[in-house]
Amino acid sequence: MTQLRYLILVSRQGKIRLKKWYTAMSASEKAKIVKNLTPTILARKPKMCNIIEYSDHKVVYKRYASLFFIVGVTPDVDNELLTLEVIHRFVETMDTYFGNVCELDIIFNFNKVYDILNEMVMCDGSIAESNKKEVLHHVTVMDTMESNDNLERVLS
Amino acid sequence: MTSLYAPGTEDIRQRLRPFGFFFEKSLKDLIKGIRSHNETPEKLDQFFKQVLSECREEVNSPDLNSKTNAVLKLTYLEMYGFDMAWCNFHILEVMSSNKLQQKRVGYLGASQSFYKDSDILMLATNLLKKDLKYDGNNDVVKVGIALSGLSTIITPSLARDIADDLFTMLNSTRPYIRKKAITALFKVFLQYPEALRDNFDKFVSKLDDDDISVVSAAVSVICELSKKNSQPFIQLSPLLYEILVSIDNNWIIIRLLKLFTNLSQVEPKLRAKLLPKILELMDSTVATSVIYESVNCIVKGNMLEEDDFETAMTCLERLHTFCDSQDPNLRYISCILFYKIGKINTDFISRFDQLIIRLLSDVDVSIRSKAIELVEGIVNEDNLKPIIQTLMKQFVDEDVVILQAGNVVYERSKRIPIIIPENYKIKIVNVIISICSGDNYSSVNDFEWYNAVIIDLAMLCQEISDKTLGYKIGEQLRNLMIKVPSMREVTITNIIKLISEESINRQLPTIMRECIWCLGEFSALVENGDDLIKVMIGNTGYYSHSVQEVLILALLKIFSNWCNNVQEDKGIEVELMLKELIKFFENLSFSSTFEVQERSVEVLEFLKLSLEALEEDSDGLPMLLSEVLPSFFNVYELAPIARGTQSKLEIDEAIDLETPFLTKEECDELLNDQKIDSMGSDLISDTSMDEQGDPEYIDYSDTSYEEKEKLNDHDNPFEIERKKERMTNPYYLDEEDEGNAEKSKDLLVLSEDDSSKTKPETIRLNRQDNDLKSLSLFTVENGEEKKSKKKKKKRVQVLSDQPVVEITSKKKEVSPNPHGNETSTTSTKIDKINLKMRSKLENFDFSNFGTSSNSVKESQQGGDLKEDDDKELNRSEGKLNENGNKNDFSDAEEVIVIKKKKKGKKSKSKIKQKSKKENSPESKE
Repeated sequence: MTQLRYLILVSRQGKIRLKKWYTAMSASEKAKIVKNLTPTILARKPKMCNIIEYSDHKVVYKRYASLFFIVGVTPDVDNELLTLEVIHRFVETMDTYFGNVCELDIIFNFNKVYDILNEMVMCDGSIAESNKKEVLHHVTVMDTMESNDNLERVLS
Repeated sequence: MTSLYAPGTEDIRQRLRPFGFFFEKSLKDLIKGIRSHNETPEKLDQFFKQVLSECREEVNSPDLNSKTNAVLKLTYLEMYGFDMAWCNFHILEVMSSNKLQQKRVGYLGASQSFYKDSDILMLATNLLKKDLKYDGNNDVVKVGIALSGLSTIITPSLARDIADDLFTMLNSTRPYIRKKAITALFKVFLQYPEALRDNFDKFVSKLDDDDISVVSAAVSVICELSKKNSQPFIQLSPLLYEILVSIDNNWIIIRLLKLFTNLSQVEPKLRAKLLPKILELMDSTVATSVIYESVNCIVKGNMLEEDDFETAMTCLERLHTFCDSQDPNLRYISCILFYKIGKINTDFISRFDQLIIRLLSDVDVSIRSKAIELVEGIVNEDNLKPIIQTLMKQFVDEDVVILQAGNVVYERSKRIPIIIPENYKIKIVNVIISICSGDNYSSVNDFEWYNAVIIDLAMLCQEISDKTLGYKIGEQLRNLMIKVPSMREVTITNIIKLISEESINRQLPTIMRECIWCLGEFSALVENGDDLIKVMIGNTGYYSHSVQEVLILALLKIFSNWCNNVQEDKGIEVELMLKELIKFFENLSFSSTFEVQERSVEVLEFLKLSLEALEEDSDGLPMLLSEVLPSFFNVYELAPIARGTQSKLEIDEAIDLETPFLTKEECDELLNDQKIDSMGSDLISDTSMDEQGDPEYIDYSDTSYEEKEKLNDHDNPFEIERKKERMTNPYYLDEEDEGNAEKSKDLLVLSEDDSSKTKPETIRLNRQDNDLKSLSLFTVENGEEKKSKKKKKKRVQVLSDQPVVEITSKKKEVSPNPHGNETSTTSTKIDKINLKMRSKLENFDFSNFGTSSNSVKESQQGGDLKEDDDKELNRSEGKLNENGNKNDFSDAEEVIVIKKKKKGKKSKSKIKQKSKKENSPESKE
């Protein structure tokens, strides 16, 4: 349904807040993509469309508050509108999880954000769980299990 | 005093940790540290260095907690570009922890950092095998975590090992496990397709699952798999169709549409059933993404026949409303779909020209650049001018977007300028040229206007870095020159304008090659060629070797025309000009490029002889200049022919290209004759050589005209020399030898050429004051007269010689044949998706079911056999069409299919189909 290649969160200042690669790429390739995309997308005006073409694929981005969500998608396979929808779901889920999410939440809990993302987008970015509740449920289950772990350790 | 029971510091630290007390820097500290140290880059660097060295230590600590913490921090630092591959083994250690928290961190680190490191991957494989071992306990979450790391680690052997476990998980009572197992199986199938072959039914049964997210995952996996190999899933079509009809979850509907797109590409029969349903869906849904996907499915699933106007219009109407929306994304994607539909049949989109012209001025440049691709489909005689006007304007004007901010009362509008990127400008130039020149300029009805457009483009292109545009514009000028005889005066005026513009010479020298050639070829139109020659010589510094090659002959042509057109009293000027040219060519004859050197030496020798002759004989021009020089060039008018025509010419068997004209004896005899003849010693035998180099030749042609006549009768050395010149000249467009006598019949006779010759409208290059305006004024005088001519002459056509076309069409018929036979490979497509390890699924042969496969499937297979023939036919037909199209339009850059031609192909493919029918049983064996 979707074939995401990568997801990058970039702040308005161009700082990277999150990177997730769904296709195998060498470090230099990754660096190149980040280096080229960030200024291009930051320079785009609000009234422009959220889809751009970059080298051999398409990039869908969306701005939420001070964060840009940048997703590389496979052309002709992906539904760009749906990708925007996936981004939106992702933000919604984080919003519910953190309670009114802000950039700082994402910075300080970046591993949690990865967990949420992993529950939503699976297997090389090809499958997305669209049910927000489902995602949240499993993340919280894992969280409680984690704290159980900790509790056990204290008790031992 | 320390008691035995008093805990050591290390011990206390350990115990406090679960309560959130850490003595190492936590992730939080790290992030805070980065934030507080970012005043100067040096400070930040310092901080990073410190943190990294801390991490190095911590990661080596035996305590798994601090190790985990360090890995987490390193994962964070990786986002700042610090490589963490060095700690892969530590990550592995963390991954193997029993604590869920640590495991999670480990897998996170692994997914960020592991990359084709075979040692690590082998170890990770074993770990994963253990983690994915399903024993029915509360391992759900562990499985879930392992899964997120799976995609980076999976190998064929791992896939084989875990496949069975995953299939048992499919029967779990918990939907979460079923879902995770399905997604994990996706990766397994890619590496180990046998698993899918042997458990196909088991897997497919999950499409009937009670839990919607399991169904969704199953549909997704099948959809992804069908991208690689859709053949085995075609049999599922009825089931999938049922789901599509009954389900109301848009996410799943979109996935199903994607899936059907893939299936319908290999199984055209699906169209009849699917198309009505999809159209119905489009009508009933409000979700734009579903509408978009529906249209996409129709277009990409080959469901839109090229004469199915009804469906096309339904789709396009929906897209039209998208284009009117405020959402730039909708406008963008509809442009793309418009293009795809236009590719199927240009007529579909031609009526949307108003919309597309509007989109050309969209505030978003990326939408513009999509819309510009559509222009080719809608252009016609009437809208060409406004379209080009719109495009040209964008070059010059600075557009602004007006952003409405605030409420109605304070309507503050912000004006944001639109920056037009260079690649968009390049696109504009290319599109303008291609839409005007398309179909042999059939859309252009005002060539004076087109001339102005081209000159404007040349001016505008100076700033663009892509210098190949110069060639393209130059080609247009040349085409205009050759194809539109009535406009030659205007065009050449413009060319002179360009060539005397210093900035063009400097910034766009690539345009000059064609310009100079035109000036040379049509130098009869220029009155004061001497001034033109001086301008060109003056600009030589800007020209590359390829331009110089053309320049040499062009100068000679101009000179030839000029010295024969001047009045009697210009003998001295001719002499001066000759000297100047000789000086110029002397310089060039030391050029490092062979071609330039050769040409200039040739010309130089001729000019030197002419100069000698001129000095000797003071009354009038010497024969060399008045007779010989023009005969090099002015034998007949050049006519346009299509590019590459010459190479397509069939070698006529009747023409003997092997046998020499003279036998050896004859040749010797001739040579002996010449030795006797004191006048022209080795002239005749040397005709193919550079006869200008022979000093005796001069006496010959100068002293006795009769002799020369005789010579012409005999072998005509000038003719041969001229041919030689032409051969070296890439602009020699027409070769009229005996071989293509038929072709010359097709040459559209430029009837009014003669009139332009008899009534020479020469152009004076006003060099003294270099006033370009006076140049253009001059030609405007004749404007009205020309306009009346133009109407008649508009249809100057590129020649298409009949025999050549037949050859190529024969080839086209033959070429699809080999493809048609290997139908088994047609379904497997080249996979563009870059997986870590190459998936084996694409070229996996599903027909070969293993022994464990159930009999039901085999009987289905048998049933399919009957259909196979039809399928094969259908496929081969599709293949044929595809191939034909490729051949047809391989040279057209924007492949918009032209309907007429396709029809022609279709009928051919039908014939092929019949012949295939006879062949197909054999190919089945």
